[in-house]
Amino acid sequence: MQLRNILLWVFCSQLLGGCGWLVDKFASRPDITFAPYGAEYARKADFAELEYRYPLTPADLEKITPRYLAGLEQEQIDQIYARLSAGPIPDGAFEGDLFFARGASGKARLSEIAGGGLKGFAVNLKVRKLDLLGETLWKGKVFYRDQRVLRNRIEDLAVLAPVIDGPLADIPKITVGGRDAWLLFPAKLYCGQSLLDSRRESIIIDYAFTDEIEGYREQPDFLAGRRGFKVRDEIRMVRPGFYLGRAYLDRAFALNFTLYNEEIAKRDGSSFGKTGISAEDCWTGTQQRVVTAG
Amino acid sequence: MKRLLLIASLLFGIFAAFASPGENTPPAVTSDSPPLQRNYDDPGFRLGEAGLSPGERAGREIWYKATAGNDRFHTYVFQQRIGVLIDWFRVLNSKERDDRFRAWGLINDPECCQPGAENCPAKSLEETYGFDYCPGDAELLKYVGKSGYRDPACDFEDGALPAGDLHAQAKRQSSCDLAFGTSTGALGFRKFPNPRFDAEKWRKLNRGTASWDGYNTRLSASAGQSDARVSHLADASLEPPFRIGMACGACHIAFDPANPPQDPAHPQWQNIRGAVGNQYIRISEVMVSGMPQDSLEWQVFSHARPGASDTSAVPTDQVNNPGTINALINIKHRPTFEEVIVKWRKTNACAANESACWCEPGQDGKCWRKGEQKEKGIHHILKDGSDSTGAQEAIQRVYFNIGSCSEQCWVNHLTDLRQLDPNSRNFGQTPFDIGQCRRDCPNFRAIEDRLPNILDFLLSAEAHAADLHAARANELKAKDANARFDYNDLVEELEAEFGENAVARGRLVFAEKCASCHSSVPEAEAGPFKNRDFRAVSDKTGLRQDWLGNDQLIPASEVGTFHCRALHSNHMKGHVWEGFASETQRAKSIDGNLKENADGGRGYYRNVSLLNLWAHAPFLHNNALGPELCGKPKNKKNDFYRSPYVSAENNLLKAGAPECIAFDPSVQGRFDLYKASMHDLLNPRQRVPKITKLDHDIVLDIGPKLWDGSEEKKIFGFDLTVPQGRNSGLLGNFQHKPFLVDLVLAKTQPSLLETRMTKQLGEAEGRKLAGDMREVANEILADPKSMLDAIRKRPHLAAGIYSSCAADVENAGHRFGEDLPEPDKKALIAFLATL
Repeated sequence: MQLRNILLWVFCSQLLGGCGWLVDKFASRPDITFAPYGAEYARKADFAELEYRYPLTPADLEKITPRYLAGLEQEQIDQIYARLSAGPIPDGAFEGDLFFARGASGKARLSEIAGGGLKGFAVNLKVRKLDLLGETLWKGKVFYRDQRVLRNRIEDLAVLAPVIDGPLADIPKITVGGRDAWLLFPAKLYCGQSLLDSRRESIIIDYAFTDEIEGYREQPDFLAGRRGFKVRDEIRMVRPGFYLGRAYLDRAFALNFTLYNEEIAKRDGSSFGKTGISAEDCWTGTQQRVVTAG
Repeated sequence: MKRLLLIASLLFGIFAAFASPGENTPPAVTSDSPPLQRNYDDPGFRLGEAGLSPGERAGREIWYKATAGNDRFHTYVFQQRIGVLIDWFRVLNSKERDDRFRAWGLINDPECCQPGAENCPAKSLEETYGFDYCPGDAELLKYVGKSGYRDPACDFEDGALPAGDLHAQAKRQSSCDLAFGTSTGALGFRKFPNPRFDAEKWRKLNRGTASWDGYNTRLSASAGQSDARVSHLADASLEPPFRIGMACGACHIAFDPANPPQDPAHPQWQNIRGAVGNQYIRISEVMVSGMPQDSLEWQVFSHARPGASDTSAVPTDQVNNPGTINALINIKHRPTFEEVIVKWRKTNACAANESACWCEPGQDGKCWRKGEQKEKGIHHILKDGSDSTGAQEAIQRVYFNIGSCSEQCWVNHLTDLRQLDPNSRNFGQTPFDIGQCRRDCPNFRAIEDRLPNILDFLLSAEAHAADLHAARANELKAKDANARFDYNDLVEELEAEFGENAVARGRLVFAEKCASCHSSVPEAEAGPFKNRDFRAVSDKTGLRQDWLGNDQLIPASEVGTFHCRALHSNHMKGHVWEGFASETQRAKSIDGNLKENADGGRGYYRNVSLLNLWAHAPFLHNNALGPELCGKPKNKKNDFYRSPYVSAENNLLKAGAPECIAFDPSVQGRFDLYKASMHDLLNPRQRVPKITKLDHDIVLDIGPKLWDGSEEKKIFGFDLTVPQGRNSGLLGNFQHKPFLVDLVLAKTQPSLLETRMTKQLGEAEGRKLAGDMREVANEILADPKSMLDAIRKRPHLAAGIYSSCAADVENAGHRFGEDLPEPDKKALIAFLATL
């Protein structure tokens, strides 16, 4: 395999990857209300009005699951994301899952862009393949809150070996749920602007200056950085231990992902379910967020 | 695969353009709290309050100091959401205080000082993070890296609202939300302590606190590497010591034409006026100061001349259309109109279940109702006549344009230039809801509750005209307190230069040739122009009766000037500033003489006032008519002048281009500039045409690169270079989204594209263009690097159907008077200098 193909494959599958097991952890489908919307950009609901008219309650948030989110159209995911706040900057290991944008046709949005002009491009199939690759390799993220650093968990290094600098033994490892994983693709963590909804900040996972983080190795970490695909993720909290994320490549939206930490969910979930109140590290904006009002 | 590559290429940037825990809004302090001791004193600023009413004084302070929370926009939003970096240290560092006016056109705050200078309380740049030391900084500096700063605006003293104001008795939003901070050292630019600042991290990065050397220096000195174009300004995990905000005054505060400073780098308060409009400011360059000069953002953003600003560059409409900062003088005599307007109006109650009516919670009788009404007293504020929903609303929109409430209200409604999917959010603009903004943004309410006072200020004595004879008198008095110079002396002086009886003759020429547009008092109201004293003073106001402009909307094709500003589209229905244009304006007929799409009331210019024309050259809405101005700063890295002079073939003149004229705000400097500009105005055949060109190659570097420790190796991808010398506007006006959609259609559904184009353009042209698009698509698929060539070979695409504005020569048009006899031209120049 040519270097470029290996790198492309590694990038797509590792950073944008996911794992399917998570969806089985959740069950009932919530009855979330969405603001009416149409296909064209001008017919989407204003987020401020959406939140004012259709606030999410703690009970709604309690029922949202990764499986449920993965089955939604992109506009519906956007409407949920906009009604979330950033919550606390996470700490510890989170399981990850990803899903690409879907349009009203049920196909990947990439296959519908340009006013439907790309429908013949079979990108829907390719997107599914990417999804599968991601599920195989990327297992989640580990947050080091105090350092404001994040690293990605990779379970299978066999396919990565050709493009990794230096001995594999030097790569730091972590054991989560009894499974070992290598830590690659470090990123900086901070509160910053959402590229979807400006009304309050999101937690940003920024790979632009990944080379300044301890443990950085040029191959394969550069792929996510400023010389690579310029990845920037943002996340908001659905409820303690459960975050909804969006990944961007050079500021263009690429896909959605979820992060879940069962321990935190169990520890803080019930209190949040009663009050809707959580710690907030980032700027929460000035629009009253009804969900936190009880 | 090739098709995918085409899309990927486009997606990857061919068209790329452009708390600490718990940190939140400060605790509300109501403005009816007992007056508090100000936490700093700025006696020089207070001198300007002499003679002003309480309302005017309050409005003045807001105009000069209030940012309404836009420090977040200028520190986070613009950088992260829009993707454009500002290097505030480059603009505001204290070491270059004396060069600041020459480089950026900014006006130094007389009450600030350079740390270490004699009598400056700050003894070193380390203490101020490299910035000037200003009133209030003793307190502010304590809070860098900490929360709890109490904004000086909390001590603001409100002025009364007019008796007839329906909310006169209501409690106003906390004045803290006006957000003053303290001066940065440049008037109108304000700083706030950043509670997220990490001093240790900052010291490590910058090897101290006196500079931003580690923050704003490029990561690589090697020009061939991508890091040569990157600095830590792009690292949003790093928080600077200050967040920088802007007041309206940032652009509008100017040197007093009638009393300019001896040294522009060291003005005194008596040299400063708040509403004249800074004719030297390079606000576009300030806004892109953190970007490499060969970036797309720099080359497309900074196309405005000194004193001009493209107000739809940030909330972009993809129309390259800078306009001068309005001189807000003698507004009491500015013409107004009766127009149909949909807007929110103050009321005292809403009916039950009334949807377009809202009362502020906890405030009895403080309500607004939205509806359509025909309304008198409406100005045409912007160059294209928009901001036509009322004077107060026009002020309100300025706050949006400078970043206030951006996160809460309007950034979600902007176009994302990278969003290429018509069915996704931000593919195009959507209108923001002023009612929502009122509800959700306290800074909006803080300004709105005081708009009448801001208007009071703009009608006050500080915003009155400054006549040339008064300026001459001031000059003489500075040397001899007993010196006198009046209007008659000026006439004598002018006639010595322009010929006997020139002023009187000029009045007649003006009456015959100019007054139909450039008088605000129509003949039907005050008799024939030829009998008119255009300098007559109103008994009621003590101001000149004639505002010297009728503010009527004129088709841009009729006046013939660079018409891109008239195609500005943010005020159209469905666009971001929809709420700030009248229905009357939007119903204007389409000017069939313009080739471009000019619907929605576009394609017009309002007339301009000739008040104090002697002090406001160069001319036209874009400052393009007359000599080019430049700052000639000592720091050549901040010398932003690019010669726009072109040959008849529109190529940049390599030799023989006129020199630029250095900023000179003195009376003589302004008058000389006026004469030279009038010469160009009245002699259009002698004008050297001007087109702003790219002055650097723009290299779009697409694809990942591996760093092996000594050099970068591109894994795949390609570079695209837009060569210097191309028209800047061509790039800024290029409608890449429709182009891309059509390009895809050309390959996937060519018949559909052809049908649409023939319907739009006629059989022959539609077929030809559809065929061109098929060829472009094929060429790009064969070699993505050839894209620019493919477009360039077919200039009618980028400069025609896919351009929002095809105008190129910026100093064309307004040829009125070119056929006057030479003595009449001189007479006109003499007469206009007296107005």
